[in-house]
Amino acid sequence: MQSLRRFVSRTVWSLCLAIPLVGMALAQERGGTLTVALNYDLDTLDPYASGFLTDVQATFLAGLVAPDHDAQYVPVLAEEVPTLDNGGIALNEDGSKMTVTYHLRPGLKWADGEPVTAADVVFTWEAVKDPSYLGPEKDGTAEIERIETPDDLTVVIYYDGVYSGFKASLFTYGVLPKHALEGKDLNNDPYWDAPFGAGPFMVTEFSRGQHVVVERNPYYFETDANGVQLPYLDRIIFKIIPDSNTQTTQLRSGEVGFAYNVPYTSLATLRNTPNLEIISAKTLAFRHVTFNLRNEQLADLAVRQAFAHAIDRTALNRALGDYMLPIDTFVVSTFAFSSDDVPTYAYDPELGRQLLLDAGYTPGRDGIMEKGGKRLSFDFMTQAGRAEYETAQQVLIAQLKAIGIELKPDNKAGAALSEARRNGGFDVWYSGWITPADPIDSYVSFYATGGFNNGGAYSNPDADAALYAAAGSLDPDEVTAAMHEAQRIVLTDLPSIPLFETPSIVVTTSKLQGFVSNPTNQTNFRQVAPWWLAK
Amino acid sequence: MNLTTFIVKRVLAAVPLLLGISIILFGVLHLAPGGPLDVYADIPGVSHEALENIKRELGLDQPVPVQYVKWLGAAVRGQWGYSIRTGRAVAKDIRERMPATFLLGGTAFVLALAAALPLGVLSAVRQYSLLDYTFTFLSFIGFSMPIFWLALMLQSLFAVHWQLLPSAGMYTIGDGGFADRLRHLALPASILSVAYMASWGRFTRASMLDVFGLDYIRTARAKGLGERTVIYRHALRNALVPVITIVALDFAGMISGAVITETIFAWPGMGRLFIESMNGRDYPVLMALLMIGSFALVAINLITDIVYSIVDARIRYD
Amino acid sequence: MTDPSAAMQDPRTLLGEAFKRFRRHRLAVVSLALLVVFSLAAVLAPYLTPYTFDGQDVALLGMPTPPSLAHPMGTDHLGRDNATRVLYGARVSLLVGLLSALIATLVGTIVGALAGFYGGATDNVLMRATDVVLSIPLLPLVIVLSGFLRPNLYLLVLIIGVLGWMGTARLVRSQFLSLRGRDFVEASRALGGSGIRIMFLHMLPNALGPILVSTTLSVGGAILLESALSFFGFGVQPPTPTWGNLLNSSRDWLDIAPWIATFPGLFILVTVLAVNFLGDGLRDAFDPRM
Repeated sequence: MQSLRRFVSRTVWSLCLAIPLVGMALAQERGGTLTVALNYDLDTLDPYASGFLTDVQATFLAGLVAPDHDAQYVPVLAEEVPTLDNGGIALNEDGSKMTVTYHLRPGLKWADGEPVTAADVVFTWEAVKDPSYLGPEKDGTAEIERIETPDDLTVVIYYDGVYSGFKASLFTYGVLPKHALEGKDLNNDPYWDAPFGAGPFMVTEFSRGQHVVVERNPYYFETDANGVQLPYLDRIIFKIIPDSNTQTTQLRSGEVGFAYNVPYTSLATLRNTPNLEIISAKTLAFRHVTFNLRNEQLADLAVRQAFAHAIDRTALNRALGDYMLPIDTFVVSTFAFSSDDVPTYAYDPELGRQLLLDAGYTPGRDGIMEKGGKRLSFDFMTQAGRAEYETAQQVLIAQLKAIGIELKPDNKAGAALSEARRNGGFDVWYSGWITPADPIDSYVSFYATGGFNNGGAYSNPDADAALYAAAGSLDPDEVTAAMHEAQRIVLTDLPSIPLFETPSIVVTTSKLQGFVSNPTNQTNFRQVAPWWLAK
Repeated sequence: MNLTTFIVKRVLAAVPLLLGISIILFGVLHLAPGGPLDVYADIPGVSHEALENIKRELGLDQPVPVQYVKWLGAAVRGQWGYSIRTGRAVAKDIRERMPATFLLGGTAFVLALAAALPLGVLSAVRQYSLLDYTFTFLSFIGFSMPIFWLALMLQSLFAVHWQLLPSAGMYTIGDGGFADRLRHLALPASILSVAYMASWGRFTRASMLDVFGLDYIRTARAKGLGERTVIYRHALRNALVPVITIVALDFAGMISGAVITETIFAWPGMGRLFIESMNGRDYPVLMALLMIGSFALVAINLITDIVYSIVDARIRYD
Repeated sequence: MTDPSAAMQDPRTLLGEAFKRFRRHRLAVVSLALLVVFSLAAVLAPYLTPYTFDGQDVALLGMPTPPSLAHPMGTDHLGRDNATRVLYGARVSLLVGLLSALIATLVGTIVGALAGFYGGATDNVLMRATDVVLSIPLLPLVIVLSGFLRPNLYLLVLIIGVLGWMGTARLVRSQFLSLRGRDFVEASRALGGSGIRIMFLHMLPNALGPILVSTTLSVGGAILLESALSFFGFGVQPPTPTWGNLLNSSRDWLDIAPWIATFPGLFILVTVLAVNFLGDGLRDAFDPRM
């Protein structure tokens, strides 16, 4: 694990994934309480209903499989990750449908000592799919035709098609205990006040707006190399601290021993505090500027190219704290199919201006380019109240002004933002995406014609073909080829400019050992069992 | 008209008032663009069908007047519905946050009153003295103060630079003893009390001066009663009646005004719940919180009216 | 204020006496001068500073810098001059304060005048409506409205103004009720004057003093409300600076650059304080009894 003490230095520094401590001379110690700062106000412990990432949920619920620190799926409750090679995935004769078979580990128990069986998996599917259950995260339920359980440890899932992303949702978030929830109203059963699952911990206290306490699950299945039962930690306290100043103060005073997504504004203070480690952890998140192609002027490729050449990623990064990683494509570097072979748009404001002049625009009296009496002036949306986004927005406004494009901030939050984002209530939009470990379905939703998250109305049949080919294939080589093609087309059409891959800044107490960051939306806590505290 | 009819009449008059308030609030919440489900739309895995289904289940697809009538019918029977954000009964969510807000508001209330009354009386007694001028100036500063700024500055001094007091929260997890809670309460309660201290002090002063001008005080003085007796026996008693009215009304305002203080100090009360529900646009919770705030104002108004009419015979029941 | 002889006096003499009394309130006079200076500075902002409010110094990007000769209040994390931003912030904050107080006064005066002049059913309906709005806690309601509507500057002014008229309405109503029975009103009625004419030509001038006082005081309230809203991120959006959203963005730097938070807050305090002293002076001037 590397501490980055010269964090805000203006030099370019390399980012290191935290390296597992396996094999190091330190002996793990069991016991202790870790206090974690949650920077949002946790709404519910139901992972299928929460509007946030599932940090706390990952400590007490376990799925069949989960993505690890390289975004590669590893088995959890299942004995192995099903693939075509190991026979876990089977196709029907014409290759139009697939069957996925999981074998549960023998002897698994819930945190209350009851056995985990195949019936629990079936129950989870039925419960989440049920229309009267209002949790919105039903992804992955509709494609399943039926589930068979030949014995207590075998689950055979029949899909109505072929889905490469089948691992991404339902059975990764977690399997729910049937015996605790059957016949109950999953929407608001008291189970969610102190839920348990087959994960390394179980919730013992949820004090709304204040904290969640999780304690060791005595029946957790995982052991370390020496046969010691995991987790090492006795207890984790998640303190709800939405205010970043308070978070900083509590990190410094030792009241909090773990915080992530720490704003860079806090770093200047934190890096001078002894006994804290600052880690830059890769994530699957990236920042982008997206255009609404319904806008006549933005439908002009030359305008979008000029726009891209006007952006100085280096200066922008500096304003954002110099910890972002500039990227040229929308596939982050963690994924093997991230392509180098895409058109790039170097910072070159002169070229940007020239592109606009060539396209028939002339500078108006106020310096803003215009054609036919219409100025290049756009509503520029980002999430209101989010400091990093608003900072980026203001730098971009200044950069684009330099080539004669006017951007007027039109920031929205919460409901209004989502509405505008989906339905194209913006001209230009700065934001971030974080994809699941199986990201192809997300790319489809961003860039395919009519995609759920395609608010800019981008549409190119070639891009659609490549994206759907990637989504429908189970062969890694085919996926890579199709994704390279999709990246080339999208970066040529430029409906959106990928800007940065966004690491998460994690600050921990120096006592914390065994922490490995997880870049996926399954959060760092998906691999919490081997964390331990040195005395 | 006797007292009972007066009370009954006033209570009945509160019903259309509350109805009017609820219509305005419901309209404001539901007619604004966007809706509560949009928080989920940022998660790529949430499908359009799932959202439509939830909308139907929650009745959000129906016309606003229909939704209102349903809400009203349920609310009258004490059914405040379920929070969209947490999935729990609204009443339960709010009940959990109430003690924190009342602890904060109550402490601030006592603090403000304990400072305002003596200061107000003293400045009235020593009108135009140095103390009076100082107090007047300070109270002007008090109610001109942007309290979020004061909170920010004091938080930065006491919690960050001097590290004397905790920066936020209600108690330390695992501690929660009396001293620990007191330390957490000190900053937010003092800050919340500042504006009220200033305004109640001014009001007490004015009220005392009014009473000093009345005939019976002049008479009492003329009769040679000691100044102390005149002030504390006669004047203060009468001056307190209007002060109590203002103070009672302000208490209701204090509870809803705690929004700012609770947010800055991460105080887990109703004010924070309000801001959280704002961000998630949790209609049922917002509606309930706003109605509770309005109800408190109406109720306290009613009670002070009634008490006033009992205490002060000069008010006729018309 | 209810001295029967007052209504008989020439309003100009009244005004002259009020002015004399106002001049005796030294704090109010100083406050008025200060507010005039602030307003002038706000209006003339572009001529008073070499920087623009959104001009970024690329060399200073990334970290705030402390106060210096070139930047008396330092720069923010985007290399923008804080003093310039506070100066431009004054424009918005003062404008919002002034305009919304005027709207509140206008609405309040009309409602109060109608209720007080016509009485009966009109009075009843208008006063019940006033009660309804008064019974909703103001701050949460304003937060809901501006949080949901994401208003621009003028919509924000409208929201603050439209929710602040009740006090004025009650005040004007009570003034009108007491004026209604007076001889000069009866006289103009007997002469066949129209309601509107009597209200606004004869009665309103007599109520102007208290109205002016309440308008002044609501300017202070509106400035505080706007800054609170912007502080929460529900008010005016960046990069347009207001004192409230300057404070909001200063929070992230409170630990290492406290000067960013100090100045805008200080300006809010001093401005509102001056407005309140001015209101106090005006009250003394128009209502010597207090």
